[in-house]
Amino acid sequence: MKHKLMKSLLVGILLASTALPSPAQDKTVLTMWHNHPEWKDRVEAILVKFEEENPTIDIQLEEIAGTNYTTRLNTALAAGEAPDLFGLSPGPDTAAAAAAGYSVDLTDKLDISGLTPSAKAAVTIDGKVWSAPILGSYTVGLYYHRKVFADNGLTPPSNQSEFMALCQTLKDKGIVPMIAPAQDGIIPAFLYMMMASSVLKADGFDAVRKGTRKLTDPDVVKAAYFLRDIYTCFQDGSLATPYVEGKALFALGKGAMLEGGSADYAGFLETNPDIDVGVVPFPAVDGGTPATVTGMEAPYNINATSKNIDAAVTFLQWMMGKEPAQMVVDTITLTTTEGVVPSDNRVMKEMIEAGRSNDVRVFYELPETGGVFGAIQQNAAALFLGEMSPEDFSKALQDTVKPSGS
Amino acid sequence: MADSSVPVRLASAAPNARVRRVPSKAMLRYGHLWFVLPGLVFFFSVMIFPAIFALGISLTNWSGLGTNFQFVGLDNFTNALSHWPFYRAAINNFYIFISILIFQHTVGLFIAVQLNEKPRFMQFYRTVLFLPVIISLVSTGFIWTLMLSSNIGFLNPMLEDIGLGFLARNWLSDTATALPTVIAVTAWNSLGWSVVLYLAGLQNIPEELKQAAQIDGANGWQIFWRVIFPLLSPSFTSLTVLTFIGTFRTFDVVYVLTGPLGSPAYRTDVLGTLIYRTAFGGSGFSNSDIRMSFAIAMALILFFAMALICWGMIVVLRKREIQS
Repeated sequence: MKHKLMKSLLVGILLASTALPSPAQDKTVLTMWHNHPEWKDRVEAILVKFEEENPTIDIQLEEIAGTNYTTRLNTALAAGEAPDLFGLSPGPDTAAAAAAGYSVDLTDKLDISGLTPSAKAAVTIDGKVWSAPILGSYTVGLYYHRKVFADNGLTPPSNQSEFMALCQTLKDKGIVPMIAPAQDGIIPAFLYMMMASSVLKADGFDAVRKGTRKLTDPDVVKAAYFLRDIYTCFQDGSLATPYVEGKALFALGKGAMLEGGSADYAGFLETNPDIDVGVVPFPAVDGGTPATVTGMEAPYNINATSKNIDAAVTFLQWMMGKEPAQMVVDTITLTTTEGVVPSDNRVMKEMIEAGRSNDVRVFYELPETGGVFGAIQQNAAALFLGEMSPEDFSKALQDTVKPSGS
Repeated sequence: MADSSVPVRLASAAPNARVRRVPSKAMLRYGHLWFVLPGLVFFFSVMIFPAIFALGISLTNWSGLGTNFQFVGLDNFTNALSHWPFYRAAINNFYIFISILIFQHTVGLFIAVQLNEKPRFMQFYRTVLFLPVIISLVSTGFIWTLMLSSNIGFLNPMLEDIGLGFLARNWLSDTATALPTVIAVTAWNSLGWSVVLYLAGLQNIPEELKQAAQIDGANGWQIFWRVIFPLLSPSFTSLTVLTFIGTFRTFDVVYVLTGPLGSPAYRTDVLGTLIYRTAFGGSGFSNSDIRMSFAIAMALILFFAMALICWGMIVVLRKREIQS
């Protein structure tokens, strides 16, 4: 009797619990992958703001180290296990994902009228919108430690001759001129893009894309010579220094200069809150114009298999608004929303100023020059070690260019 | 004749006694397969089926993204066989194999012989020597990266502090020292295997054989070379084959120590990093250099080449064991 009573009671409790409403079931959960673990706190602050204004939507953010992000994402997309929201480089990568059916067509779902013209162009492919630039853009220039320069009566260089002279001066004083984590070829790739851009400028780069100019033109080959010569200014063991170690070394003051982007500053502050740096455009090949290169922080796509597409659209639209864009530019990197400027971030202002000199799109975002980045990565070490001539290096890069006229 | 699959009631059994089933001939002959079936199913699903699927992908031009690809036949295989980086990486694997093989068959054997004399704290020595084997290769790579880094490592400062600063190098970025450094780290990690394998072999050698040789007037070296070492042939075979497989599968240590490009300038590039880089790309910025089906073709060529070489090794070394 007692046993039967206990059983009845237990069944009753179980049935009652299923009838009770569960607060968690009213919330939509969106999974999101991001490739900047050093920004985690800042991004989460923005997500918290979104969740306060949209209490029925929760964002589960997963940060993945940048060097592993593409591998993990590509594998997850192929396996059908990608998150609701994932970032992809604009241009060829986004086009490939769209063609494969991984991304939702956002053309009639998102209003991108508030974006800067370059951001609109970056996320529009053949008239269709496949992604939203919610975590801004980045401009790459030359960071330098202001105190090191001030203490030694130095000024940031504006061309190759000044740079190499500065490099020697710093070495004579026992200061590492430049931190360059070159293990995976990423930093040399950005260095070359800026050096070549100092010769080509935006018009010349468009001409390379059309096929009317080449990276093997004599004036552009000078960029390869500059890249080869700058190797002597790097820290010891640069060819084996991983990317993240190099950024940390610079943040800790182990070198006077670093080629870096607006997106790196947040990471520097995480490593060394007292860091005091300035930014200038990267020194030009002699006779050229100091240059920066600009790209989008991976714009966000909505997974075509997501069960919460409407909620994801709501999130992306909100992220392109002025308030979140202000949070991005004040705490992380440059923004892609029109009319939003850093309120009190000197470094971001200097980076914007640096970009006014001579700014070119990063090569890998464009279908014609998408392969150049990988070619630089694969051949930079041979150039540095004298195993490859600047002419052969330039040829290896040009061989990957697919002009739009062809 | 009575059907042997029919239940049989013994004549002497009580009327209500349980009937004993006699297994059929088929069951007796093939019944053991039921026991291996779960393992076989697992083996097929995680080894054979993916290999067949991979072979199918290698016959296409699939980049690794999307569903747009065409059948290209054996193009990936012919391209891989004429792809210079494939041979460059294989040569590095070969250097690693030869170096580790010599190290294990000399240093490993020497240590095993010493431990076989059962010195004091033998268990402690054996444990310490085997510890690196159980540390994951990724962890091994990170530990040694921290020690060898030109910027944050402590090896170079330590050498300078003890007056050996002239030995300090950019271990992982100098083209002359990068691959030897990778080999040294691999040797450190794998030493325990050779010690354990040889120690097991030594402990199986009957003491009477050594005593008989001593009585015949053989000295220590002659006893080792003429009696002990030939009887270690099975250990030698196992170690050689395992070393070959392990060194040609090298990936983790190289990836962590010198990156996906086998820096500097591919001096440490091995088949594992080449295949990984070809399949997944070398950076987080662009997918333009991803060629999944080509990478799979290289992996399959490596698989079949290794299988053939292992088979040849085992045939030759087994003959030597028999002769010994």
